[in-house]
Amino acid sequence: MLLNAIDDRRAVFVGGKGGVGKTSIGSALALASARRGSRVLVVSTDPAHNLGHLWQRAVGDEVTTLWDGSGRVDGVEIDPARTVDAHLAAVSDTMTRLLPEHLHRAARDHLDSARDAPGTHESAVLERVAETLETGLDRYDLVIFDTAPSGHTLHLLAMPERMTGWTEKLLANRDRSERFAAAYGALGGIKDTSDRDAELRRMLLRRRARFSLMRDVLADPRRAGFLLVTVAEPMPLAESREVTTQLRNLDLDLIGVVANRLSPADLMPARRRREEELLADLELGAPLTRIPLVDELIGLPALDALAGVLGP
Amino acid sequence: MASSRWAAFTKALNDFYAGPYRQTLARAQRDEDDHFMLVVLAESLGVPDPAAYYTAELLPAVYEDFHEWHQRAGMPRSPLDHIACC
Repeated sequence: MLLNAIDDRRAVFVGGKGGVGKTSIGSALALASARRGSRVLVVSTDPAHNLGHLWQRAVGDEVTTLWDGSGRVDGVEIDPARTVDAHLAAVSDTMTRLLPEHLHRAARDHLDSARDAPGTHESAVLERVAETLETGLDRYDLVIFDTAPSGHTLHLLAMPERMTGWTEKLLANRDRSERFAAAYGALGGIKDTSDRDAELRRMLLRRRARFSLMRDVLADPRRAGFLLVTVAEPMPLAESREVTTQLRNLDLDLIGVVANRLSPADLMPARRRREEELLADLELGAPLTRIPLVDELIGLPALDALAGVLGP
Repeated sequence: MASSRWAAFTKALNDFYAGPYRQTLARAQRDEDDHFMLVVLAESLGVPDPAAYYTAELLPAVYEDFHEWHQRAGMPRSPLDHIACC
């Protein structure tokens, strides 16, 4: 059973091609786990959020309870624009506090260029994912990330490693600068940069702590893993092979593969046979779970039916 | 009186020997800081910075060094339209 395979993990990324049913599989998994008494947080990182539609209630950037019983399912739909706004507002506050009046407008214009920079949106998603992962590991037994289609998600998952390297390079620069400053001071130099240096170091260390925590959790197969959802059609299966290769490069453990929405053998025997042939050729190195087509997958009863298949 | 002249003498002696090293160290630190400034300002200078979200928060701390930085970098006037420091 798929639920047993993820039982001891703390963070599961549910991913795959667009439209294969990541949200319903992720939520059904959350429900199955919560019915066994776990506290589960479902985090949607796909900008086209579906979590609210599936559970038939409004979900947003704040954590909302989706199901409460023996365990609990909470949900959150990450809103990167709001994160960018809050972040730049905080920086702007600091600048206004530190800078003389006539530079305030300049500082604001400068921050606007950061708002529109190409990587800013992704950084905000990364920031929120890292943050939810941190609090999620603290307050929940299991955090399920319902991710955006493959390409975006693989990129996102590569970022903690890359950004840890980025902060480390800047910290090395600060180390050298501070060493020179100390030697200069020891020889009687008078320009003191210690306040600025301490501030820069504090911010960089805080960033590095968050990036490296996420990187370490992702690379630890006892704590995290990836669940690949696909449908039994040529193109999604081809993409699944691609994703599997890239996950290996990322050091993220593939927990299992879900073949979703299989045609009913009694009504469409020929189609189902073809699907089975395609699946027989699929060697992804992780257990395959078959999920039958569920009609009108929306609301709790449908999720319960799906949860029943994933883990009784 | 004699002691203050002695102090002045040792200071001059110290400056004579340590001065050049001090200057070298100050310059080495400045090179590191200039590089750091370049990273923080990249996006504003037209170099796409994928980490602009993170560099933005470093900006307040280096802002006051900006004027000296662009003068040292051989630009007598501020290279950024919206930062009119001089």
